[in-house]
Amino acid sequence: MFFIGLFRESLLFAMHALKVNRLRTLLSLLGITIGIFSIIAVFTAFDSLERKVRGSFEALGENVVFVQKWPWTFGPDYPWWKYMNRPLPKIKDADEILERTSTTQAAVFNGYVRKTISYKTSFVENAQVLATSKGYEEVKAFTIEYGRYMTDDEVQTGKAICIIGHGIGEALFGNQDPVGLELKLYGQKVQIVGQFGREGESLFGNSLDNMVVVPAEFLQKYYDLETDEVNPSILVKGKTGVSLEQMKDDLMGNLRAIRKLPPGADEDFALNEVSVLTAQTTEIFNVFGTIGWIIGAFSILVGGFGISNIMFVSVKERTNQIGIQKALGAKNWFILSQFLIESVLLCIMGGLAGLGLVYLGTVIASYYIDFEFVLTTSNVILGLTISTMIGIISGFVPAYGASQLDPVEAIRSGI
Amino acid sequence: MAYVTLKRPVLLTILLVVSYIFIVLFSMGMLLSPETKRMGDFFPALFGLLVAARFIALTGVWYMKRWGVELFLITFGATLAKAILLDDFSMLSTAWHVILIVVFMIYYRKMDRNL
Repeated sequence: MFFIGLFRESLLFAMHALKVNRLRTLLSLLGITIGIFSIIAVFTAFDSLERKVRGSFEALGENVVFVQKWPWTFGPDYPWWKYMNRPLPKIKDADEILERTSTTQAAVFNGYVRKTISYKTSFVENAQVLATSKGYEEVKAFTIEYGRYMTDDEVQTGKAICIIGHGIGEALFGNQDPVGLELKLYGQKVQIVGQFGREGESLFGNSLDNMVVVPAEFLQKYYDLETDEVNPSILVKGKTGVSLEQMKDDLMGNLRAIRKLPPGADEDFALNEVSVLTAQTTEIFNVFGTIGWIIGAFSILVGGFGISNIMFVSVKERTNQIGIQKALGAKNWFILSQFLIESVLLCIMGGLAGLGLVYLGTVIASYYIDFEFVLTTSNVILGLTISTMIGIISGFVPAYGASQLDPVEAIRSGI
Repeated sequence: MAYVTLKRPVLLTILLVVSYIFIVLFSMGMLLSPETKRMGDFFPALFGLLVAARFIALTGVWYMKRWGVELFLITFGATLAKAILLDDFSMLSTAWHVILIVVFMIYYRKMDRNL
């Protein structure tokens, strides 16, 4: 209780000192404010960007392998001319994969076409039309806002039906239920059986919001789905409990058999997975993060020197007062804590101001740019930690110096 | 202001200056690095307090105070525990700290007992 009382007294002394020199307090905490603002702003921007990128990757499908012609990553001397001659994945390949492999739960053909779709006098130009085979609902997570998803029979028989994205629905029908209405695609009437729930923007432009999903068997009557233009791929998802590596091994052997590749021959397909892209972006973000903390660390360092300087001035100014306090029985640690608390308070105030500015920045930026910036709890904790640490480090030497003063000499200094 | 009551040996001064530079360059860097952030929300806070405690310990040794050496030993123990728990053990860093501790212990008897 006694120590709490003394701590409270130290705190009151420190707060009084800060209150008396308002302008000096304001100017000295500016350094820390700018430092915390720059470092946390950089971290917030990169965290938000990283979250967005990861979200977009996850939307591509977790634990899903993409069988494609081209690999997603290339080495410096990759033989592109070999890849050029590779065959494209076909709709029947998906069925064969599912039949032959024991580790896969679903194998779905996907192909993309850009086409204008219309409803009465309304139309959406260049809408992304996704032609898919059965099992798409097993590899891709989505919600249905209205209606239902297509049945396997409807997909296999190539029925003229579709499910529209939230954005398409909003553009053509406002907020009305579109189920049962008919769109026009390639001059054909296509009945809407459902509408996806809002998914949000994706960095790769593969958000379901602006897509129309139709059975591949239907679309191939009007468009050749075995061309490079539709970027055909087969999405393969493993069974529960099967690792991605096990599934890839199984897939590799069976795809070689499907493509009739002799032993020793190079694969004529690429098995792409999201984790490769995630690992690459993690590396990129680490580099950006490192640049961010170097910039921030220098700002903080300069702010810390400012605080240290002002604390030395503060000790010098109050030497006489320190002498009197010591003469009246104040212990060294009491004087030390008084100045240390002052310095930490100063830095925390600066840090809070910096965090406030970052928060304000995220609100303004999110309002004007179509991108959600979020000041996370971990960044708030980091900002306050850095402020406290800088407060302790920059204030300790002046505070310790003050605590070691000889009371007689301090009083005699007469300042 | 009569800060220093005991004369500090040159070897100690050199080692302390190098340690201060290490704290600014590496510990601050480690605290703000993306890897530290990924370890958990409160990890930078704990690491920051450890860095501040080490700075205080070095300042104590700078003023030739025994509590500086004692605090340095505590922070070394905490750093070692952290390194073992997180599988982040560095032989070079440990060797440097051991050298510091040995030199500090050599001058420990000459240091002041008071705060």
